[in-house]
Amino acid sequence: MNVIEIHHLTKSYGKARGIVDVSFDVEEGEIFGFIGPNGAGKSTTIRTLLSLIRPTSGSATIFGKDCVKQAPEIAKEIGYLPSEVFYYDKMKVIDLLKYSASFYGKDCTKRIKELAEYMDLDLKRRIDDLSYGNRKKVGIVQGLLHEPKLIILDEPTGGLDPLMQQKFFELLRQENAKGATILLSSHVLDEVQRLCSRVAIIKEGRIIKLEKMSDLTRDNYKKFSVECDAAADARFAVDGVSNLERKGGTVSFLFKGDVDGMVKRLAEVHVRNLWVEEPTLEEIFMHYYTKEE
Amino acid sequence: MNVFWRELRANRKSLIWWCVGMVLMIYAGMAKYAAYATSGTSIADLMKQMPASLSAALGFAGLDVMKASGFYGMLYLYLLLMVAIHAALLGANILAKEERDHTSEFLMVKPASRSRIVTAKLAAAFVNVTVLNLVSLGLSFAVVEQYAAGENMTDEILLLMGAMFIVQLVFLFLGSAIAAVGKRPRSAASLATTVMLVTYVVSIVVDINKNLGFLRYLTPFKYFAAAPVLDRMGYEPVFVVLSALIIVASVVVTYLAYDRRDLKL
Repeated sequence: MNVIEIHHLTKSYGKARGIVDVSFDVEEGEIFGFIGPNGAGKSTTIRTLLSLIRPTSGSATIFGKDCVKQAPEIAKEIGYLPSEVFYYDKMKVIDLLKYSASFYGKDCTKRIKELAEYMDLDLKRRIDDLSYGNRKKVGIVQGLLHEPKLIILDEPTGGLDPLMQQKFFELLRQENAKGATILLSSHVLDEVQRLCSRVAIIKEGRIIKLEKMSDLTRDNYKKFSVECDAAADARFAVDGVSNLERKGGTVSFLFKGDVDGMVKRLAEVHVRNLWVEEPTLEEIFMHYYTKEE
Repeated sequence: MNVFWRELRANRKSLIWWCVGMVLMIYAGMAKYAAYATSGTSIADLMKQMPASLSAALGFAGLDVMKASGFYGMLYLYLLLMVAIHAALLGANILAKEERDHTSEFLMVKPASRSRIVTAKLAAAFVNVTVLNLVSLGLSFAVVEQYAAGENMTDEILLLMGAMFIVQLVFLFLGSAIAAVGKRPRSAASLATTVMLVTYVVSIVVDINKNLGFLRYLTPFKYFAAAPVLDRMGYEPVFVVLSALIIVASVVVTYLAYDRRDLKL
């Protein structure tokens, strides 16, 4: 079953580009990664899903309900952590969290305490006395306190120190294990790689790739690094090769296709040393971003 | 109801200060009357000799300021200006502040429709405006009675404060409509007060230049000016209807525009 279904969603802001014809689905129980650099349209997509902005054309459903028309109903089961967290400065953390809980019509006191303890967050302080990292923690607790079935995170780790990031990801894994579906937008590929089972890559407002993480990193691409004479480089510039570059005595490239063919090509040159590796998501990502230019 | 209570709390301090301002205004204003009244005819003569434009600008055209009711009528214009600023600012800010302070990504993803949130906010603003009006009313009774010198002013005060309430509602909802329609949340409050001040200036222009009388339909300050209200001891029906139309139209615009709005984040 799909928790999120996005059909040809377009949002334009006058002349400025928003998103164009975005379509993808997020299945129940998965952790879905949404990656692209800043300004590619990740936040625009998410904000349209949350009905903070209205689509120009196209539609989206969450839990099978229309995103715009049934937004309040959908919102009951969504936890959202925006990329930048702002709250009512003069409120105390606990008052803000209670205010947040009051919208969901259930008692979240115990859950607030648990989450705050886990995230090491002082509930008695005023929002405007908090550092950015601590405000982010408020955002995390605020997004999870009503035990949502769908968690939407927009660039969630900014401002969190590495230890807190770890704890936060662990928390997300726990929520996921309990059945929550997660949509995680990020430009930090490492965190997407660690958490997500599928990803959509967005570039300049359009989805350019939608794939399983395992396919993206393992089955299709190999990263070759070959120590050989520079004269041989041209031999590797064939179909399926990208990001070809030479550093010193070593030429490296990403290869997608028949590995046997590549091995035969390698046999034709004098190879001093050879590495064949799984590419990191970062490298694949660069591949998608340089390919079309 | 949570948004409603939250808004009441958030506006409590500001409301208290507006009430304090109102107390000072009425108290200081009527204390001045005491000075006028005891100085006898010299001030009355001075005022009669004043050019019409000046007396219009100062707000006592057509009022006998030697009487407590007349003086209160003059003071009323300033009270009106004060509550109009309050109402316009409140109406604009109560909606625009979520975007201005970037808290709309918190509030507007909650399981509450935008209409429900607008209703809660407008209700809270309505309570604020009502409290300020009741404080003015109570205070007017308390202070004016002291200077009335046997003149019974209960009806006059009730009439003027009733009119003030209508004007407050007009500017409150004009403010909220401006915030709902406006593209820039940061400038909503200043835009609302600008509109309000322009109508105020128009009302003075109308007083100075009788040929521009038709302009009085454009300015709520003229709908229920003290002199005509006290003259006929009632409101002109056309202005009651006009106010009601503005209020209803503004409320409708507020709901429709806010519901369709792309929130600025």
